[in-house]
Amino acid sequence: MYYRIVKDDVMKSKGVTLATLLFIVAAAAMAASGASLAAQLFGAVDALMEAARTPHFMQMHAGPLDRGPLERFARENPLVEDYFAGEFLNINGARFVIGGESLAGSVQDNGLWTQRAGFDLLLGLDGEPLRPAPGELYAPLAYLRSGAAALGDEATVAGRRFKVAGFVRDSQMNSPQASSKRFLVSEEDFEALREVGAVEYLISFRLKDPAALPAFEAAYAEAGLPANGPTLSAPLFRMINAVSDGFTAALLMLAGAVAVGVALLCVRFTLLAKIEEDYREIGVMKAIGLRVSDIKKIYLAKYAFMAALGAAVGWAAAAALRAPLLSGLRQAMGEGAGARLGPAFAALGAAAVGAAVIAYVNAALGRFKRLSPADALRFGAPAGRAARGLGLPRLSRSRLLGANVLLAVKGFLADFKLYAVMIAVIAAAGFIAVVPARLYATISSPGFSAYMGVGECDLRLDVQQADDIPGKAATIAAALAADPSVGSSAVLVAKALWTVDQSGARVRLKTELGDHAAFPVLYAAGGPPTGADQIALSAMNAAELGKAVGEVLIVDDGSGPRGLTVSGVYGDLTNGGKTAKAAFDAPLAEAMWAVAYAELVEPAGAEAAAARYAAAYPWAKASDIAEFVRQTFSATIASVRTAAYASAALALLVAALISYLFMRMIRAKDRREDAIRWAIGFTASDLSIQYALRAALALLGGVILGVAAAEILGEAIAGAAIRTFGAAAFRFQGGSAIAYLGMPLGIAAASFAAALFGGRDPSLRASVAGGVETPYLELLKE
Amino acid sequence: MRNIIKAEGLVKTYGSDAGKRRVLDGVSFELGAGEFVAVMGPSGSGKTTLLFALSGMDRPDGGRVAFEGRELSKLGERELADLRRTRMGFVFQQPSMLKHLNVLDNVILAALRDRRSEAAELSAKALALMEKAGIADLAGRDIAKVSGGQLQRAGICRALMNDPVVVFGDEPTGALNSAAAAEVLGMLEAVHAGGTAIALVTHDARVAARAGRVVFMRDGAIAAEESLGPFVRDELEPRVAAVTARMRELGI
Repeated sequence: MYYRIVKDDVMKSKGVTLATLLFIVAAAAMAASGASLAAQLFGAVDALMEAARTPHFMQMHAGPLDRGPLERFARENPLVEDYFAGEFLNINGARFVIGGESLAGSVQDNGLWTQRAGFDLLLGLDGEPLRPAPGELYAPLAYLRSGAAALGDEATVAGRRFKVAGFVRDSQMNSPQASSKRFLVSEEDFEALREVGAVEYLISFRLKDPAALPAFEAAYAEAGLPANGPTLSAPLFRMINAVSDGFTAALLMLAGAVAVGVALLCVRFTLLAKIEEDYREIGVMKAIGLRVSDIKKIYLAKYAFMAALGAAVGWAAAAALRAPLLSGLRQAMGEGAGARLGPAFAALGAAAVGAAVIAYVNAALGRFKRLSPADALRFGAPAGRAARGLGLPRLSRSRLLGANVLLAVKGFLADFKLYAVMIAVIAAAGFIAVVPARLYATISSPGFSAYMGVGECDLRLDVQQADDIPGKAATIAAALAADPSVGSSAVLVAKALWTVDQSGARVRLKTELGDHAAFPVLYAAGGPPTGADQIALSAMNAAELGKAVGEVLIVDDGSGPRGLTVSGVYGDLTNGGKTAKAAFDAPLAEAMWAVAYAELVEPAGAEAAAARYAAAYPWAKASDIAEFVRQTFSATIASVRTAAYASAALALLVAALISYLFMRMIRAKDRREDAIRWAIGFTASDLSIQYALRAALALLGGVILGVAAAEILGEAIAGAAIRTFGAAAFRFQGGSAIAYLGMPLGIAAASFAAALFGGRDPSLRASVAGGVETPYLELLKE
Repeated sequence: MRNIIKAEGLVKTYGSDAGKRRVLDGVSFELGAGEFVAVMGPSGSGKTTLLFALSGMDRPDGGRVAFEGRELSKLGERELADLRRTRMGFVFQQPSMLKHLNVLDNVILAALRDRRSEAAELSAKALALMEKAGIADLAGRDIAKVSGGQLQRAGICRALMNDPVVVFGDEPTGALNSAAAAEVLGMLEAVHAGGTAIALVTHDARVAARAGRVVFMRDGAIAAEESLGPFVRDELEPRVAAVTARMRELGI
């Protein structure tokens, strides 16, 4: 019996059923894809780190290395499972030439690496550790992705000839967000090129118990071992590996959640209209003694069927989309343990969507309990309903507005509960169009680097791995100050200060000293340090040290411990994410690196200025900041751009489709009232105008609500997504015109057109033109 | 007497090729200015369809209707709506009111379509009509809280707002109890006495007996006509008897 009822109902309302089904399918597909991508991602990141035997702790060190104390420490510390101090031969990007193009423009620290240790392995795309023969060069995967290298390319490094024999999966530096890139060569080639570059040591440790990492970090710092460079650890590697794809997974889940919402709203108004139509029948069923649960089953049957079908089709679609969605991930990380779990997670995601629909319909049908058979049989509608919308405006008191406007407003108010659905849909559409657009505008804006711990500027100069860093910093500061093309500049010297963490261990605090107000990064709380008694902490350090703004941190800068007030907490993805900023000078502390920021009078000249400074100060790395940001974040920006376009298209589609279906529904529901209006002399176009006005009211409300929600909630949601990759604070910026004007106008226009189309009454037109029996006349005969 | 409506050879067919049914089968009909005509007949005889064809709400498949000399088939949708709004009034079997308007707003609704700046004047006119109908105190009332008879009287007030030349009624007392039906009929009589023509479809001989002329329909055609002459209240019972006798004779 249920099959017949479902079939009849579906045949009667094909369009609406199909549209609802499509949303369930879309929601299920996105939930399934997101779940499967997340499962695959986390499984794959773990699997890659397992296969590559990624170090749990790594200290980068520039300058001479005394291996003795290190080896003794590794032997004696009970936490250490394995130790290795590998050599990373840092070579100027200009000396790498691949396929005829040099890497001079690369912001990455490019260098050579050999596979000597039993861990920290560089893997081939088949997941096996690589063993290069002399003359073979294995390039970082990022260069395959960016098109800078292809298999079989001729390459030279400082004049030595190589052939690109393959690509490297590097569990530490795969991601464009990692600032160094390792090329794998044979030991023979490495030794031949040793003099060309500067050796930087990657001092790596595998721990017996990875959970003991904080204790180990403290022990390492306490032992006074080489530490001239950033300290990195497994959690950061894991995060950096997960960023781009994790972001896509989060966006998919978000879009899936929105699609579930739209599907439920779609179901809601379909169901409400259907109940309205069937009110008398439902009353009859109750009157003759059917239980509410019996009646519910009849209505639930259709949606249970649709939910099951939608979830199944969505799951199948997700399965079909798996390959392209996961191809990049596979290439970078290979199949992880999560690969087998992927389909199961996908099924779970799709099933959750189906279950949500059924649960929702079941809850909505609860209203049958309150339905009075007497009222239903007598009025065909709930008693007392007519009172809605009876208040203002009164036609009899109106001076300005015509009958059409007044009827539209009153109809809108009377059926506000139904219009609220349309408002919600348009708001949701506005939301999903505006938020990704804003997110894209924000992360592609020049100021975005501030979220990542890089001050907004035109030109950036880095001094690392050099003697007399403070002296070189002063040289650069003087050069920048004297340069007429530089508007303003600031030079920060990072020094190693010491503090005590929550466990009482002495830890090194890499602190950038200088004027932090000139090129501020984005502060999640508080602001830059201004006085000699203030310090700002990166989000990771603040969490680890357990300090919030206003609290006091004991810091030793070599002249003895003193209390500094935490002035602010900022996001940072540079230098391992654990940094601090202070405005005083610490002459006794060891200098680690220096960075100079400059704002140019003509920002367009950044590239030329970078080249000029690179030539004048070969020991400094000069970057045009726009290029730096573009290269560092291009993968993330590209995936957000794709998401932004896709959600804008989806939003337009949803808004238009729902508006169309909604207006058809409303006109079907109001047919009897329309018949009356028509009979007493309103024209078909009068009625159309009234419905168009109602749609316009709903659209206006929806667009305003959607934009407001995007501004208030969207920033929080996008911020949460962005925080997962190291930024501590997030604020939308840039692109407002397109996001706040273009998107809403587009949605409003598409919806309004669709609403006009849906709000036509074809039966009436036909009756007037051709003398066909009209439903209006039937209604009037009743 | 000047004709308001002149219809000739009206044909209306419902249904598909397989099951075609002629609801109007060559009906000709005239309505004079200020005349009161009742149309009687069994269910399905084509009464309501005739009324819809005469008022331009429905287009016949054959024949022609002239309203005040204008051929309805030559008028567009807008002109037909204008005619319905300004020259005709309608009273339906069910009180047909918009549920989210109060009684007064329902009455002035159609009139306000063309005279948006005259809400006050229209309200005053509506209240005067409602006063005569004995429902002025219901003006601000929710229509769900008003009885069927009172709503029907409000419907007549609405029909009169634009001073129509004819009021069409489709079983206007069909859904009412006898007391309420009597009040509505009393109102229609008063409307007629004011010079407005009335064309009324009814099953009820006591309603038809108030008309000056009764048209009997059967199977889509006019079976007979009975001229009763001007209505005088004292003659109601003999007129009812005459109508009833004629119905019996026709087997209606």
